[in-house]
Amino acid sequence: MSSDSSKKRKPKVIRTDGGPQEGKRSRSDTDQDARYYSEEAEVDLRDPNRDYELYKQTCQDLQRLMAEIQELKSKGHKDSATEIEERRIQSCVHFMTLKKLNRLAHIRLKKGRDQTHEAKQKVDAYHLQLQNLLYEVMHLQKEITKCLEFKSKHEEIELVSVEEFYKEAPPEISKSEITLTDPHQQTLSRLDWELEQRKRLAEKYKESLANKEKILKEIEVKKEYLSNLQPRLNSIMQASLPVQEYLAMPFDQVHKQYETARHLPPPLYVLFVQASAYGQACDKKLAVAIEGNVDEAKALCKPPEDSQDDESDSDAEEEQTTKRRRPTLGVQLDDKRKEMLKRHPLSVTVDLKCKDGNLLLLTFYYLMNLNVMTVKAKVTAATEMTVPISAGDLLCPDSLLSCLYPGDHGKRTPNPANQFQFDKVGILTLNDYVPELGHPYVWVQKLGGLHFPKDQPQNPVIADNSLSASHMERTMKLLKTRLESRLALHKQFASLEHGILPVSPESQHLFPAKIVSHLVKWTSLTYDDYLELPYTKDVIEAGLAEDTHLYYLALIERGTAKLQAAVVLNPGYSSIPPIFSLCLNWKGEKTNTNDDNIRAMESEVNVYYKELSGPKPGYQLLTNQLQRLCIVLDVYLETETHDNSVEGPKEFPQEKMCLRLVRGPSRMKPFKYNYPQGFFSHR
Amino acid sequence: MDIQRSLELLHMTIYTQSISPCGKYLAAGNNYGEIAIFSLSSALSSEAKEESKKPVVSFAAHNGAIYAMVSTDRQLLSAGNGEVKAWNWSEIVKKSCKEAWSRRPPYGSRLEVPEINSLQLNLKDNSLLMAGGDCVIHMMDLETGAFTREFQGHTDYIHCLALREQLRECLSGSEDGTVRLWDLRTGGHVQSIEVHKYEECSRPQNGKWISCLATDSDWMVCGGGPALTLWHLRSVTPTTVFPLPQCQQQAMFYQDLILSAGHSPTINHLQISGEVKAQIPCIPRCVHSISINEHSAEHKVLTAAGSSHCIDVFTNFGYRAFSLTFT
Repeated sequence: MSSDSSKKRKPKVIRTDGGPQEGKRSRSDTDQDARYYSEEAEVDLRDPNRDYELYKQTCQDLQRLMAEIQELKSKGHKDSATEIEERRIQSCVHFMTLKKLNRLAHIRLKKGRDQTHEAKQKVDAYHLQLQNLLYEVMHLQKEITKCLEFKSKHEEIELVSVEEFYKEAPPEISKSEITLTDPHQQTLSRLDWELEQRKRLAEKYKESLANKEKILKEIEVKKEYLSNLQPRLNSIMQASLPVQEYLAMPFDQVHKQYETARHLPPPLYVLFVQASAYGQACDKKLAVAIEGNVDEAKALCKPPEDSQDDESDSDAEEEQTTKRRRPTLGVQLDDKRKEMLKRHPLSVTVDLKCKDGNLLLLTFYYLMNLNVMTVKAKVTAATEMTVPISAGDLLCPDSLLSCLYPGDHGKRTPNPANQFQFDKVGILTLNDYVPELGHPYVWVQKLGGLHFPKDQPQNPVIADNSLSASHMERTMKLLKTRLESRLALHKQFASLEHGILPVSPESQHLFPAKIVSHLVKWTSLTYDDYLELPYTKDVIEAGLAEDTHLYYLALIERGTAKLQAAVVLNPGYSSIPPIFSLCLNWKGEKTNTNDDNIRAMESEVNVYYKELSGPKPGYQLLTNQLQRLCIVLDVYLETETHDNSVEGPKEFPQEKMCLRLVRGPSRMKPFKYNYPQGFFSHR
Repeated sequence: MDIQRSLELLHMTIYTQSISPCGKYLAAGNNYGEIAIFSLSSALSSEAKEESKKPVVSFAAHNGAIYAMVSTDRQLLSAGNGEVKAWNWSEIVKKSCKEAWSRRPPYGSRLEVPEINSLQLNLKDNSLLMAGGDCVIHMMDLETGAFTREFQGHTDYIHCLALREQLRECLSGSEDGTVRLWDLRTGGHVQSIEVHKYEECSRPQNGKWISCLATDSDWMVCGGGPALTLWHLRSVTPTTVFPLPQCQQQAMFYQDLILSAGHSPTINHLQISGEVKAQIPCIPRCVHSISINEHSAEHKVLTAAGSSHCIDVFTNFGYRAFSLTFT
């Protein structure tokens, strides 16, 4: 379009606007094809501002001319027609100029637009390029990280350490001159070495397998030979039976017992073996036997995996059936408890015979699910005995064996793991089941070779022979002493109840001939009653009175004076002495809290008990202690200073020979009897 | 612990205590003839554990009970059945317990060895006074070990001794119910007070024996079978009878108070006027010995021992802080 317009107007307009225009044209003539006049080129040469000025000028002139024309016309002069004409021409010229300027403006606008468009396109192109490059960068970065994260398989292979590698690998593999400096080469050669070694080991493995095969075959052959031998041996055994019987050699019986012993659980087996070994070696009177249903035990001994499967199966079945029947939860728990406390069908009995023919019958059980052993005891006396009332607890199986070793009450399970099992089925302590199951004393576990460490409850405990062996002798001796001491006490109690102190002839020298105070009463006491006595506080606080001990109350009298003695009998009697607490009722109540002499009397029997043990092993201790109490009561009463203000003779005239009546800061009385002179002195 | 020892602990009686010259250690002697040394400094320190309340060292010193102990500036002297033994503090502290010397007063021939119930140091003469079962006060020269003087007159055994340093007089209280005053320079018998004959303090139901005695210039406090009484010695009159029903085993002047203890599990703080200011409970049912550590200001404590294996320690005299125990 622009070109059209420019062509049209080419010849028409010749601007008369002054020098610069002329100059411009001449220059454009030289630059461009001189034959055409190009308005577009002209645009470049002109200054838009100046055009604008020109435009404004032209508009003003036009306005002025128009005004003049109007003025002339309104005047209506005749001669003004020429003037008007002239002015019209002038205005026409001005119009031409305006038109020209309009065109120029159009051309400029178009040019501007073109330029902008061009620039925009360039920018777009650059932007696209940038996007491409960015994408490429991202891609490359991804690739790099991928490469960096690459894990080679060889890193998973455990290689021998570098030093070992250099030490062992041959130089043609290690190539130390290269590999020492280049870690990559080093790894490669280490891998080589690894491969080499593995190949060798694989070969060795194959060899060993072949070897194993061979040995297995050999074993097979030997087994066959042995199984062939069995029937022949059997027939020989059969043939020898009459001979055995004839010679009274019970090999077969022993053999049978050992046969049954094979079905014993490990702890009972250990116990059985060790007890019979001890019996053969040290104590011929010790009889060990196995009791119980062997068939049941055999059934239990079936391969353990099977039985476990069976159990789980039956459990599942049970669950199904219970779903149908829905018994109460209590019944279910009861069943579970029973299962948990189940004993092994076999038990081991040990008969301990004392010199005087008394028998201690011990039956050892094994609780399979708890992995603890229990024991029940029974005493069979050689001669029929009258049972004193106060001796009720002495031989009862419940307390007979308690505290055989210090602190071993047998009321709690020694296996710490059991507590968790109990929690599951709601058993609070094993104590409630002890009468039925027997006592799980710690020494029983030791005899069975079971040792439960206190701090590691979860370790599986295995029956250990040496542990059992190390405890066997001591425990058997302790058991015997316990039985003998209990029987001795039993005998003493029988006379104590009748107020007789059966002092044995061996102990006579400990006491003077004349003793006036005498035992009146001997009764047993409960632990709670003992705790409530006002004068036993010291003994309780010293931790010497526990609920496993036995408690008795003795009453000794002389005239109006009554001496009560509360006695703690430790199950470990007579190696642990009975402990006396005294209370004298005479001119007021006197105990160790308000009278030092009563305290001294207590120490006379408690602390100096070793003088009173009598003939070994000291079973007479209790009687002798009571006898000494009678004497010290005599001394106490006879040496009491007579209050002159009270009328009448002394109730207890002094009959004992004493060197001095009182001595020392605490004004002690002379409680010590001196044999054979027969006088009393101070300690 | 084995049963024998726990029974011994149950029936232990501590008759006497003595504090080392440095004030850091306390020695205690019991009825089995054992002396145990406790470290007061470690038991009183802020990081004291149970272990520091047990003896640093304990050793068998005598055959039979130990009734009296005193400390000189170098040695611990202990007395029991008929013998005085000396132990060097410097060695005891290092836990080696060898006796330095032992002496036996001239008793003559007797069936029974008399005990020594009381020891009293007489620093002015550098001598030791001892008295007990033979009813005689023996004076021993500490330099030579010789027995220089005897004071005879009591008719029954002597429980306690006290010293009036200004007048160079010695007092003795006895089972026979008298308090006697002796002149240490001449060896003469100065005076005899038959306490049980004074109605104010006599208690015939308890007997007439005098088991505790203390003096301070012209004043004397004594008690036992008779009630604990404050005496004015120049006029020989009982001025105050203290209202304590139990027999007293130990009495001492402390500042303006009299501390006493005896057949009750308390330490009694008494005012001269006769009021019982306080009765501080303690563990032993019968207190045989109270002592105050005057040697060291930072370890100034009252310790009380008696028929128990515990020695009560009172840091503030108003309450029992803790106990030292025999093991």
